[in-house]
Amino acid sequence: MIKHVGVVGAGTMGAGIALAAARSGLDVILYDVNDTVLRQALERIKTDLKQGVAKGKVPADEVSSIVTRIHPRTNLSDFHACELVVEAIIEDLRVKKDLFKHLETHTKTSTVLATNTSSLSVTAITSVLRKPERGIGLHFFNPAHIMKLVEIVRTRATSESTVAFARSFLHDIGKQPVLVRDTPGFIVNRVARPFYGEALRLLGEQVATHEQIDRILKQGAGFAMGPFELMDLIGIDVNFAVTQSMYDQFFGEPRYRPHPIQKQMVDAGRLGKKTGAGFYTYNDNTK
Amino acid sequence: MAPSASKTSTVKKKAAVYITGESPLVEEYAELGSSHGYTVVVQWNEDRKRDTVYRRSAIVPAGTSLALELTNTDLERKKKNLQKLDRALPPTAAIISSSVTVSASEQATWINHRHRLSGCSVLPSFSAGSVIEVAPTVYTPVETMEVVRRFFASLGKTCEFVEDRVGMVLPRVVCQIINEACFALQEGVSTPAELDTAMTLGVNYPHGPIEWAEAIGLRQVEAVLVALQKDLGEDRYRVAPLLRQMAMTGEWWNKKPQEGS
Repeated sequence: MIKHVGVVGAGTMGAGIALAAARSGLDVILYDVNDTVLRQALERIKTDLKQGVAKGKVPADEVSSIVTRIHPRTNLSDFHACELVVEAIIEDLRVKKDLFKHLETHTKTSTVLATNTSSLSVTAITSVLRKPERGIGLHFFNPAHIMKLVEIVRTRATSESTVAFARSFLHDIGKQPVLVRDTPGFIVNRVARPFYGEALRLLGEQVATHEQIDRILKQGAGFAMGPFELMDLIGIDVNFAVTQSMYDQFFGEPRYRPHPIQKQMVDAGRLGKKTGAGFYTYNDNTK
Repeated sequence: MAPSASKTSTVKKKAAVYITGESPLVEEYAELGSSHGYTVVVQWNEDRKRDTVYRRSAIVPAGTSLALELTNTDLERKKKNLQKLDRALPPTAAIISSSVTVSASEQATWINHRHRLSGCSVLPSFSAGSVIEVAPTVYTPVETMEVVRRFFASLGKTCEFVEDRVGMVLPRVVCQIINEACFALQEGVSTPAELDTAMTLGVNYPHGPIEWAEAIGLRQVEAVLVALQKDLGEDRYRVAPLLRQMAMTGEWWNKKPQEGS
């Protein structure tokens, strides 16, 4: 069983991944560029643990040992003992490539180097490695300490032993992996596109109102949330950006074409719940 | 010709409902109607042998006050069914016809008593839903839609009145999700089981797309997509070749070649 795991980036995803690993008894080196970000991440982790205790998911007497297993660090060389490092920094290809070059020099040659990217090419990120066979994608879903699914993304260079290592790590931390070939959107972001895309076109063609479309898909088809409620929750700007990225990465495949309604909503500043209004309006006290 | 201006009459409880169309939709709705107190008679169909609570008859029984036409794939047969119903039923009896693969307005042009026809969205495996889409045609008066609303209400369903467009809402969204999954499968992105796991655990879908395709029936899914591509004239709705092949052969993918054959 793997013992030491490194996480780069102490944002929402990084903190969630660190918590998921620490809860399962692993030692986690949580890296970020400065102490302030790391302190905030640990505060968030403590809050999440408190909620876990309240919901009966985390035994109260385990909380302090979980927290002590997460070691905040600001130096990449602290990853030297890690068997796996998961990157969860900003979605910027140049920044990620640069980081992976540094990670290779600060880790053992046997260390698996994983990216948590959701929208970039794992192939492009790991292409900078001298040994790209140890590069892989591990796409966690937010919140990472709760959501069971992780997409394991293999490139043409990823070795079988790297895949096997990723599988056993995810098994150890109680996640359900699915193995995906490195292609735009992997499985989830890709297969979910029509849920939003067709709903937007139905609205645009005035086949039904957004409230009707949400009701039909929830009460007629069994979806937990309607596409317009979900876009409001995710952020219409975020959803639009993912759609645009898929469309570009597939070189204009019409199934992924964004809809003018998305751009108009973004132009109007109606981004969803976070701005108080999207397809629906929200009271200030519901945020 | 001018459509008849006569009115359709409200369907009373225990009234006789005649159902035409294809399996398994006719069986789903026959059971639903029977369990809600209707006397259901289903069009005789040689490929189904055993009947349960409802009767089968090639003839539309006298006293039938409402008919359902539930064909999505074979539109020539749908046309014949509707014309037969139109001849056999009194002009006051409403016809609710699936308008997933052909608009209800186009269907109305196939019959004489156009006022009596309303479209609805039906696909196999969704008959337990508490909301159903219905679509009035350009000829349907409010009286007919009131008959339709009350009929579905008596089955425990709330009607959403939507525009009469091929694919409607639920079939268009669900079938495009399945189509996307089939493209991904064809491209070797992952396996059927992992595609289903990813969508149910990752975004909490009620069913994985592949499992859903099997429950709905691949021919039905293909028919919806073909109709959308034809109606909207867009590449966006082209059917994944793998899906089409499976719909034609009824065979699932990745089967190893049979030994010794």
